[in-house]
Amino acid sequence: MKKIVSLAAATLFSLGLPLSSFAQENPKIIRLAFSGAGTGGKPASGGSFLATAHQKGEIEKEFEKDGIKVSWTFFVGAGPATNEALALKKIDFATQGDLPLTVARSNGLRTRIIMKGSQFSRNYIVVPTASPIKTIDDLKGKKFAVQKGTAGQLRLNRVLEKFGLKESDLKVIDMNDDSAKAALSTGDVDAYITSSTDLVSRGLVRRIYKIDDPKVNAPSQIWVAEEFETQYPHIVQRVVNALVRTAAWASEEKNREEQYRLWAKTGTPYSDYKEDFKGDQMRDRLNPLLDEYYVSSLAKSVAEAKQFRFTRREVQLAGWVEPKYLNQALKEQKLEGYWDEFDAEAKRKKAGAAK
Amino acid sequence: MNAIQSLDNAQVLEPLGSALPRLHLPDCRGLTPLLKRLAYGLAFPLFLLFLWQTATERVWLPPQILPEPAFVWETLLDMLGTGELKGHLLASLQRVAWSLLIGGTLGLAIGFAMGLSRTAKAYLYPSFSLFSQFPVIAWSPLMIIFFGIDEALKISTITVAVIVPFAVATYKGIENVPNKLMEVGRIYRFSFRQTLWHIALPAALPAILGGVRQGAMQAWLALVFVELLASSEGLGYLLVYSRNLMQLDVVMVCMAVIGAVGLLFDLALTQLERHFSKWAPKGY
Repeated sequence: MKKIVSLAAATLFSLGLPLSSFAQENPKIIRLAFSGAGTGGKPASGGSFLATAHQKGEIEKEFEKDGIKVSWTFFVGAGPATNEALALKKIDFATQGDLPLTVARSNGLRTRIIMKGSQFSRNYIVVPTASPIKTIDDLKGKKFAVQKGTAGQLRLNRVLEKFGLKESDLKVIDMNDDSAKAALSTGDVDAYITSSTDLVSRGLVRRIYKIDDPKVNAPSQIWVAEEFETQYPHIVQRVVNALVRTAAWASEEKNREEQYRLWAKTGTPYSDYKEDFKGDQMRDRLNPLLDEYYVSSLAKSVAEAKQFRFTRREVQLAGWVEPKYLNQALKEQKLEGYWDEFDAEAKRKKAGAAK
Repeated sequence: MNAIQSLDNAQVLEPLGSALPRLHLPDCRGLTPLLKRLAYGLAFPLFLLFLWQTATERVWLPPQILPEPAFVWETLLDMLGTGELKGHLLASLQRVAWSLLIGGTLGLAIGFAMGLSRTAKAYLYPSFSLFSQFPVIAWSPLMIIFFGIDEALKISTITVAVIVPFAVATYKGIENVPNKLMEVGRIYRFSFRQTLWHIALPAALPAILGGVRQGAMQAWLALVFVELLASSEGLGYLLVYSRNLMQLDVVMVCMAVIGAVGLLFDLALTQLERHFSKWAPKGY
């Protein structure tokens, strides 16, 4: 008997199947990260179902019984800092914007995209209230704050391109959200790109341009490090299960207000979220599907990152998006069709058309 | 005395013969002393390069964090070719030049005042001693409030870094002008201007040039720090930006250029200093 077992083990081993995948070995800790932090570096995030999951302790609940610890990191250095942590194998799951995501892959960092993080965000180009700047053209030669290497920078480049401008036509200065807001109010920078409505309601800034094109505001995503996914696929499934559960809760209109309150723990006021999500269905903004819109948007981001010279090497799309965990969770939780799919043009597909 | 000169003149203590086998440096007869020094000096960097190469080959660190030397070299050539490096380098050099001009003038003025006039020294020296205690970084928050984040911030911060070595060197240089020379001046009833131009300045020149050299080095070091703060061009800026895009090869190129330019500054000014030391009065 013993011999057969060892023989079987040897066979499996020689086939390259690690025994651990059968033994369902568990990690000691699951490390999740946000590419951003609350005001003044507060360890909190808002505006996504992952943020809601963090606030409500959903991942912790899922793994409590197994004694698996869950840790959350909030990088003030945003997406670029997440990439450094990924390279040093310090995180397993993260949410990130499109530019740092693409930069990571072009540098050979391996991730699997498992869910959309959020979509259809609204962003604005703002200037100090007293500023003479009125149009995008007026921005030429002006100091523009953006956190470099983040999705905001790629977004800015897309807007500028629409107006026939380049980043080098402006003086683009690297600043995180906190610094940029301070610099705007002291007049140290002339313009900023932000989703925040708070500065407007306080009368500090004026919007000169609204970015509501879903092709300019690329969706964010949630990924798992490829190494972790290979080693613990069953854990990845359970993380996705918990996140899909949270996304469904977060998408219910009756939970809207409560969710704003949870997100307001970031230091971004309640009113800011209320204004930001006004007129949108929660289930559209917090849609986790890896639909046509997502995949085409990703391909577009990759091409643009190259075009604007943020990446230098080719980025392989094949094998990057991994929808199987999400599909499994949707099936188990009977949520297929709950969220609408969007096509490459970001138009809603008619119900039933996808099936 | 400054670091490099004192190193050159220092007596090197050999390891004790009984405790350690005496290390014999390879005999390089036939080489000029300069080449010899160069060869010894390069040994350690070459070893580091070897270590770096090995580290990347064996992937001690992920390639995203530690790119291989050949790749960094390629990037350097590429950045030289596209003129990208030149643009940033010029922006940085321009800042340093302005700061040296402003800081140098102020530093020399303070130094001369303290060196030549007891009254000026009595008024200025205590405040100056305090002023020279702050590192440049400690100035930056105040500077940001006063000057914003623009070019004024960069130049003023670097200027602060420049003033101290200039002033100290000038002051010390003049203070150490041999008394005999001053006496000669007094005998000939030199005017203040004559004393300054014909005695103080020539005698103090080597020391002042030492200050210029240190000032330039300080400026270069401060520059990189200031450019990290908020800029859209310059070597320090490129350093941070490349890190955000995970282009560690560019980061390393920037570091190499910063180091090389600093070394070049140092070498050129040391030569100048030596040249002027030759005819300066000595041995009093």
